Amino acid sequence: MYLIYLTKRLIMLFLVVVTAATLNFFIPRLSDKNPVLEKITEMSESSAPGSVNMQELLVIFNERFGLDKPLMQQYFDYLGDMLTLDLNYSITSYPTRVADMILGALPWTLGLMVTATLIAFLLGSVLGALTVWRKDMRLLQFFVPVVMVFSAIPFYLIGLILIYFLAYKGGYFPIGGGYSLTAFPAWDWDFISDVLYHSILPGASIVVASIGIWALGMRGMMVTVQGEDYMNFAEAKGLKNRRMFLRYAVRNAILPQVTQLALFMGQLVTGAILVEIVFGYPGMGSLLLQAVDYLDYYTIYGIVFVLILAVALSMLILDLFYPLLDPRTRSHRA
Amino acid sequence: MLTIKDLCVDFPVIAGVVHAVADVDISLKAGKRVGFVGESGSGKTTTALAVMRMIKKPGHVSKGEIRLGDTDILSLSPEEMRQTRLCWISYIPQGAMNSLNPVMRIEQQIWDGIVDHEGTFPIRELRRRSDDAIAGVGLPARVGRMFPHELSGGMKQRACIAIATALKPELIIADEPTSALDVITQRQVMETLEKAQEAIGSALILIGHDMGLMAQCVDKLMVMKDGRIVERGAIRDIFTKPEHPYTRQLISSVPSIGGESFLPKLSAEPVAGRRSGDAPLLEFDGVSKVYGGGFLSKKGNTALYPLSFALDGRKPKIISIVGQSGSGKSTLGGLMLGFSRPTTGEVMFEGRNIATLGRAATKSLRKDIQAVFQDPYGAFNPYYRVERALSLPLKRFGISSDAADVRTRCAEACRGVGLDPSKIFGRFPHELSGGQRQRLMVARALMLSPKLLIADEPVSMVDASLRASILKNLYDLKDKHGISIVYITHDLATAYHVSDYVIVLHEGHVAEAGPPKDVIGNPQHPYTRLLVNSIPWPDVDRQWGTSASAKEEIEALMKEAKGHPPVDRGSVPGFELAMAS
Amino acid sequence: MTLAAMVSTERQPKKLEYLKGYLARNPSLAIGIFMVGFLILFSLLGSFFVDERMAQPLSALPSQPPGLNLLFGSDTQGRNLFAVLVYGTWLTVRLGLIAGAIGILIGGSLGFISAYFGGWTDRIINFSTDVLLTVPALLILVIIASAFKDGMTPTMMALIIAALAWRRPARQIRAQVLVMRNAGYVDTARISGAGPFEIIFFELVPNLMPYLVASFVTAVSAAVLASIGLEAMGLGPQNAPTLGMSIYYMMNFSAFLLKMWWWIIPPIAALIILFVGLYLINTGLDELANPRLRRRA
Repeated sequence: MYLIYLTKRLIMLFLVVVTAATLNFFIPRLSDKNPVLEKITEMSESSAPGSVNMQELLVIFNERFGLDKPLMQQYFDYLGDMLTLDLNYSITSYPTRVADMILGALPWTLGLMVTATLIAFLLGSVLGALTVWRKDMRLLQFFVPVVMVFSAIPFYLIGLILIYFLAYKGGYFPIGGGYSLTAFPAWDWDFISDVLYHSILPGASIVVASIGIWALGMRGMMVTVQGEDYMNFAEAKGLKNRRMFLRYAVRNAILPQVTQLALFMGQLVTGAILVEIVFGYPGMGSLLLQAVDYLDYYTIYGIVFVLILAVALSMLILDLFYPLLDPRTRSHRA
Repeated sequence: MLTIKDLCVDFPVIAGVVHAVADVDISLKAGKRVGFVGESGSGKTTTALAVMRMIKKPGHVSKGEIRLGDTDILSLSPEEMRQTRLCWISYIPQGAMNSLNPVMRIEQQIWDGIVDHEGTFPIRELRRRSDDAIAGVGLPARVGRMFPHELSGGMKQRACIAIATALKPELIIADEPTSALDVITQRQVMETLEKAQEAIGSALILIGHDMGLMAQCVDKLMVMKDGRIVERGAIRDIFTKPEHPYTRQLISSVPSIGGESFLPKLSAEPVAGRRSGDAPLLEFDGVSKVYGGGFLSKKGNTALYPLSFALDGRKPKIISIVGQSGSGKSTLGGLMLGFSRPTTGEVMFEGRNIATLGRAATKSLRKDIQAVFQDPYGAFNPYYRVERALSLPLKRFGISSDAADVRTRCAEACRGVGLDPSKIFGRFPHELSGGQRQRLMVARALMLSPKLLIADEPVSMVDASLRASILKNLYDLKDKHGISIVYITHDLATAYHVSDYVIVLHEGHVAEAGPPKDVIGNPQHPYTRLLVNSIPWPDVDRQWGTSASAKEEIEALMKEAKGHPPVDRGSVPGFELAMAS
Repeated sequence: MTLAAMVSTERQPKKLEYLKGYLARNPSLAIGIFMVGFLILFSLLGSFFVDERMAQPLSALPSQPPGLNLLFGSDTQGRNLFAVLVYGTWLTVRLGLIAGAIGILIGGSLGFISAYFGGWTDRIINFSTDVLLTVPALLILVIIASAFKDGMTPTMMALIIAALAWRRPARQIRAQVLVMRNAGYVDTARISGAGPFEIIFFELVPNLMPYLVASFVTAVSAAVLASIGLEAMGLGPQNAPTLGMSIYYMMNFSAFLLKMWWWIIPPIAALIILFVGLYLINTGLDELANPRLRRRA
């Protein structure tokens, strides 16, 4: 049974990835803009007039990137490339490979977003759980609804507010960037602390904006769980308050939160785009925006495909690990 | 041992104060079993929660005293009260189906009770104690290693009993411990509970609404109504000479097999059945139903094995389909209404296969086959006033579109089932009681005068005191209006009185069929015998079951029932069932 | 049951009285409606004082701080920032309403059809929704928007966003209908001769009303969120002064470095009022649709 279940999930994932990749292939082609032409125009502008034969270059480049073939042929080549994880060369930054560009950008995005999301998840869940459990804590009852209202504000706006007050008015933090212009990238404390310093504001904007989402979800689940018969029985069993809170209430209320976290992790990089733009932070978002600007097909394809894979992978991980958390899902899976 | 004096529990509401429990006095000795009986809202659960000090705010004990031995329960500190729970008094809440933490193994849920009261022990010691507790309720030790969702309803209930008795409390309070279980499991669970209680010598308070169950289980009975004890005494005294009218009503509302029928004797000959043409009214030709199955899935679940019968309909009949949950009886109802399609075979109404009818024919079929559903609360759309349920079909079936005429017809139908239309019309469903709504559904059926009525557990969710009158309404439909009825139920006693013919279903197969006096009055098939034996008789002299141990008897009969051929107990004119040999 | 009580009492005679009383008991709904109403009113009244052309570049002296002539000052390209706020707010709200309405209409229909009819219809719709939910929406929007970048109008923007706005409503409404489909009153309607569409519109929709309205508000909020996101990346309508475009210009032309606070604050403030207002309306509706949360926590 487990094998059948696994096969079903994998087929589903495969279909999702192929469908998404197909959309990814065709949508940029709807534009009449030609990335190769733009690249060549740019090249001719930066070199001496007349030294570049535009027509000739166009043909060479089209051939080099396979853009002279029929569209369907290109599509199948593209699918084959993606499935073998060959992300091709960037058109605008030729001869850099897209994979290298992504590998350069991904650590920035992942480091910032994953850390910030995990912090927000933990803080939000704890706050949400406590507001329901500890009705006697005045401060909490006042504080948490305010945090929840923050969740309504998109994080790029919160980012702008933070920049306005803490960087522009207060001057405590840099207005943007991943590290100081004067810093020299190396694995030493100076550089690392500089990077951390630069990541505080973007990180904080994500945490402030999403903490309320987790608190809200947790609060709702805790209210539901508190109405369950097993909480009633736990009280009748005379269990210690701490055990009822952790092993009964939170343990059950956290389950849907974990599902949410997995989905969130999958969409993480997408969420990063705007944060990176607002803070001028290096990463996948900035890379994608550049690529979209020039309609650099292969870079767009590569980035989007990596993101689709991220979503699919986080779903798969959830499917594989969730039964460990919730025994009820074990029986019909195994 | 437990003494309650002048107990009052108040719930402040906007309009004032509700006295959920008023002036209750109880004294209970060790080893005794006492029952609290009454309808919902009578204060029986609130009294128990007061003893546990678990009344939800803003409710509170406003007066009185609760003592367990020398301990004054109401003056204990919260921590002392926590220590008292489970150790001295344990409470098995209602809805035990969901009372176990879904993410913890059963044994862990026994351990945490032990650890929080007696401190930590090595795991081996804990496991020894949990295994003991589990064995004490007649479950195998491996159940301890299982999660709640892997257990059946009866096993979950027994696991709850194991948890509640693990610390050998002085008093066990069981709140409707069998309300969601079928009669066979109910008997098993009650026996388990009694045995566990005897083994530790504690007192037991059993809360319930079923006088039959009380008669079988307790020594003393408290009858509660509107927060007060209206009658108390030894169980035998209460059954032989009930004094309070409410007690008498409770006792008489439990129909028993044999004896006088609660239905009126008819003087006139019943009217002829409503039907047209020569074909039988309803015919099943090898009908079966399989759920699920298909591409990449497990084998489907067979809810109903091939079944063939023909209901003539010349003389109106009530055919009862009896079975426990999962027997396939509700599937049968769905097939008759055309809500689901048979996997094999044909359902024919007046000679036409209902699965292949066109749009117009389906509409006229809908008019001819009507239904009364189990849940009177869900049957009305909460968005509309109740009379819409009556007026909608009149308009849709083109019977009448004139507003005044529709109103007259609806009012007439209400009076026909003993409802006052002026008190019903213009109201929203939540403003009516369950009994009123269910009667309104019967009125609806009466008004449409279908040829066939499917009544799917029409009284199982209605308060006991109203059941008889609703069944009388249904019975009238047959006798006065010539409507044939298929009565689907788990309750053998009402089937015994109401029906002309009974079919007992067991796991999708017919177990036994025939006239009710034979099938239920003198069952032959082991499964029917088991069902009849498991009914808690509202009679202190009649033993529950035929042997001392329910467990052995149930196991023996269940074994015998497996693969036992169906038993044909004779037929009645106008109904033919094809028995598989 | 309580929801039923709410809905039904609302239909009783003293409707206005009742509504007032209800809003007093549900402050978040009241405050939310007030906030969004305030924004729309501001935009409406403001349009009597400033002309739409004043929101375009070169309509005022560039880089002026707020003063008597220029209430909110002007940006480096000479837009009257008061006019930008007046027309931008309306354009952004309108965009959200269009995209939200289309999203809920398509999503709602798909959800109802998928859940009510089941079978292959359900499987196909459900699979498409699943796939499209997996694909990061903003990415698709970015790619579509960049393909149509030149000559983009706010309405086109709304349509592009609407193209993906139906997924979540479809999924959520399907889940709700799946539960409701088994309600007893649906069976009652069936044996009363009501057809499938009659059951959907007259039995299910009224009971789902608070939920549908809440979904609509969520969809509007999500659409505005997406539009601001696209615009902040410079993919919005170049010739329309929407709030998102203001933010884009403000970031792109380094308002922070130029220390032009009057350029930075108004669009951010307007958007925060809008988002918080929609959020509060939603919380209020949630309380109406899901009484379990009421009076708790």
